[in-house]
Amino acid sequence: MNLLEISNLKTHFFTEAGVVKAVDDVSFNVEKGCTLGLVGESGSGKSVTAQSVLRIVPKPGRIVDGKILFDGEDLVQKKDGEMQRYRGKRISLIFQDPTSSLNPLFTIGNQLSDIVIQHDKVKKDAAIETVIKTLKLTRLPDPEEAIRRYPHQFSGGMKQRICIARALLLNPQLLFADEPTTSLDVTIQAQIISLLKDLQKDIGMTLVMITHDMGVVAEMCKCVVVLYAGHVMEIGPIETIFEAPHPYTAALLKAVPRLDQTRKLISIPGNIPNLITPPTGCRFHPRCEYAVALCKEKKPPLEDVGGDHFISCHRWRELRRGA
Amino acid sequence: MLTLRRNRKNETGNSASLSGKDTDSETKRRGASQWAVAWRRFKKHKSGLFGLGMIVVLLIVAIFNTVIAPYPARPAPDALKPLYDGEAAQAPSWKHPFGTTRMGLDVFSEIVHGSVYTIYVAVAATLITTVLTVAVGITAGYFGRYIDELLMRITEIFLVFPSLLLILVFARIFQLGNAEPFYSFLGINIPIGLTMIILIVSIFAWAGNARVVRGEVLRLKETEFIQAEKSLGASSWWIMLKHVFPNVLPQIIVLATLSMASAVLVEAAVSFLGFGDPNTYTWGRLMEESYSDMSTTWWSEVFPGLAVFLTVLAFNLFGDGIADALNPRLRE
Repeated sequence: MNLLEISNLKTHFFTEAGVVKAVDDVSFNVEKGCTLGLVGESGSGKSVTAQSVLRIVPKPGRIVDGKILFDGEDLVQKKDGEMQRYRGKRISLIFQDPTSSLNPLFTIGNQLSDIVIQHDKVKKDAAIETVIKTLKLTRLPDPEEAIRRYPHQFSGGMKQRICIARALLLNPQLLFADEPTTSLDVTIQAQIISLLKDLQKDIGMTLVMITHDMGVVAEMCKCVVVLYAGHVMEIGPIETIFEAPHPYTAALLKAVPRLDQTRKLISIPGNIPNLITPPTGCRFHPRCEYAVALCKEKKPPLEDVGGDHFISCHRWRELRRGA
Repeated sequence: MLTLRRNRKNETGNSASLSGKDTDSETKRRGASQWAVAWRRFKKHKSGLFGLGMIVVLLIVAIFNTVIAPYPARPAPDALKPLYDGEAAQAPSWKHPFGTTRMGLDVFSEIVHGSVYTIYVAVAATLITTVLTVAVGITAGYFGRYIDELLMRITEIFLVFPSLLLILVFARIFQLGNAEPFYSFLGINIPIGLTMIILIVSIFAWAGNARVVRGEVLRLKETEFIQAEKSLGASSWWIMLKHVFPNVLPQIIVLATLSMASAVLVEAAVSFLGFGDPNTYTWGRLMEESYSDMSTTWWSEVFPGLAVFLTVLAFNLFGDGIADALNPRLRE
């Protein structure tokens, strides 16, 4: 069963330089209780997709078109007051930089318990209890002591645990993790990843991992959505994505540095396109080594290639045969 | 002044709790709230402490003005006692430390009585200015878009006009119809004319400050913790009160302290130019009364001027000290 169904989502930013089509016709589903990887380069629309679901797209951006069905209800149609009851309570978000995502002026206990008090209308003591219980879930050492401390008294990894606890305070059904490990060092990254993995398993929560780290995807996710320049390139179960991918996914995978091979780092030539005047047809065609004339003219549809695997590429048949 | 007082109460409160925690270093670390850190840093700021000391002296003088001043305030007839004693236009001496005016007023007594009005101007003008600053700055910054456009255009109107000139014009207009010179409130006589001037001065003082606060709010709005609060279902009002306001509060306190200095200065200027309240004897008014005697009784002009100068200096030093203590980018 799908917890989240996004169809034809278009989120544009109306800047003075022009309309930035950050998310342009994105559709995918998130199955209940499963971990989905949302993959792509910087600026591919991953974060904006998450912000669109929570309806917290910063101005001048707004959702132009599309449907976001959460548990059967269209979030795009909801009033802002109704959305407030979804945010945190049913859908939550973990941010990239734990250092700047906690208010420096208040103790951890104060700022986390406020959220519980606001949503559940409980007494301070009960809220503090919930906070301690949730901090324990994230394996933060000595939570009873931690709630009396200020954010600057914690290390980055501990702060990210606190941020994860904050996102989990109200037992949301759906959790977006927006590159939760990018600003942490590698050993801490591994800890946070395994924490998220365990939490997902224990609570049975639905998790959307936004990342550009294919290693994280391979380790955590059951299925993957690959975004490029606001378009969906490929959707599929993790095994098929790593086996017979779309040219863009293949390029992404090739760019992952490997310890068992001594070779130069490979990158995808060119830059992510300007989203005010995106390339015509397939948005990846200017950087694609398999591009033909058709790619420039027509946007490839998202085709079902069997086994829950969808590819948006004109040449997927030939490429698969070749591979 | 209210912000100043509240701030000082905070500081003393924190310092008390800090000294109590000194024995337990672990708990002391835990109590490292922003206010405690700021107070610790302010204590090391020499010129800031000096400013604070001068303000305390001014407060003591104002509170005990009847005890300190050897002669009563006008309009009591005894204010002119030096004249009847044949001591008009005398140079500073032990009996009259700042000398006497040509009219026969003891300059020291006049300055001591005038300090009450100075405090009143500083406190009241800052209170009004700060309320306007916060209301306009935070609303414009937080809600943005059309509200921001509208409020900033209004702010610009106040910034482009020559404010002193307009203050003088309005001071003259509103000074005309005062039937009663004082309004009695809880047994305190509040000078209506001076209050009018305070209102006018405040209305022309908030614009620059509001812009600073707006900028700070705009910066805060982009921070991830505000975004995070939003993603957790907090309403705009909640975010503004609980997250934006406390984070701009240090900035507001600094602006408030500095605006005390400018309020005192502008009021002195208005009174010196003869547009002040005819029923109150502020320092500016004292200077206005005797500026024509500069060549003969210079002391009747210089000492009130010195009082204004030192007060403005004190507020500025104190404000700078607070600014340094509260600036997160200057961590020791």
